[in-house]
Amino acid sequence: MRFEEELVELLPRLRRFARGLARDASDADDLCQAAIERALKSQEQWQQGTRLDSWMYRITRNLWIDDRRAAGRRGIHTPIDDAATQVAGDGAAEVEAGALRGDVDGAMARLPDEQREVVMLVLVEGYAYREAADILEVPIGTVTSRLARGRETLMHLLGEAA
Amino acid sequence: MSFDPATVAAFVDGELDDLTARRIEREAANDPALAAEIARHRTLQARLTAHYAPVLDEAVPGRLRALLATSDKVDTSLAGRREAKRVRFAPIHFGAIAASLALGLALGLRPWMPPASVTEANGTIIAAGPLAKALDTQLASSQSTNAAVRIGLSFEDKAGRYCRSFESQSLNGIGCRDSGRWHLERTMTGQAGADYRQASSGELAAAAAKMMTGDPLDAAAERQARAKGWARR
Repeated sequence: MRFEEELVELLPRLRRFARGLARDASDADDLCQAAIERALKSQEQWQQGTRLDSWMYRITRNLWIDDRRAAGRRGIHTPIDDAATQVAGDGAAEVEAGALRGDVDGAMARLPDEQREVVMLVLVEGYAYREAADILEVPIGTVTSRLARGRETLMHLLGEAA
Repeated sequence: MSFDPATVAAFVDGELDDLTARRIEREAANDPALAAEIARHRTLQARLTAHYAPVLDEAVPGRLRALLATSDKVDTSLAGRREAKRVRFAPIHFGAIAASLALGLALGLRPWMPPASVTEANGTIIAAGPLAKALDTQLASSQSTNAAVRIGLSFEDKAGRYCRSFESQSLNGIGCRDSGRWHLERTMTGQAGADYRQASSGELAAAAAKMMTGDPLDAAAERQARAKGWARR
């Protein structure tokens, strides 16, 4: 199958991954667009016989990280203005636990980037720890510890039984 | 619980070798706290999967597809289109068959796997296995005191669906009957959860009260609804 055709088949999954990282739907598609452009340009770097999906996820994730760092340098911070902080005035601890019940986007937004990407790769995209570690270019132990922290936070924010 | 949290998580993620996985499954059958921990992880995963699944069904924006448009001359003849369709569909098709085969094999090779109470379909969390069976068949008015799943209230919600609150070792919640499945509208940790509070039953009743129209079903109405397969009136 041609490179482009394989990429077309990957698009729905790639958009899902990007949505989880970037939250906003049009930001996510911007990210996908940048990733596709990068992939087409560096097509010869992809080794036939290796997994195209892992390669694309790595490109997408790296572009996202670059963008987040650049935004951080410009002093732009993703607003965290969700329900939990707005009502934090009265009984903050109680409000915090389960306050985002049902609001998966809000809860995911509160995860640090490095936990959110692992949660997306393993829990949503269904990659094995080893595959996620390869995509993120980190040791497998880093994947499991970030995943554990991300999970605990999500369970806490989304309510007792998540 | 004799397994550390990382091992339980790895179990849920399918990362353990078969021997260890089997040991956890055996122990979970007799250790409500372990079963609850596993259910907690599965619920989170089901919720995340359900939340992001709709993206897969969205039409891919034209600006993305345009980047990958093939420059081949467009063949508009019927035969040409048929050929194109066949070629394009074949890999997906075989991929799907391979995936379902792998799934079947995985299930077939693990007969000791306890049936999950929760699964995910079309972007929502639904009851499965023993929980679905209890919601289907068990009557609040005549259930044995040691039933694994206890039905609390049966009622109609504002959309006209039949809903039932339930409690079990690992999971409490409210399921509503929709298109032949029990959609889990509310879930919370069951009695075995580390942070289970007596208030949980009260919370469930309060949530049910908010959802229901009219009164909860009495024994006769409940039996009648069951006889009709919990289909909307």
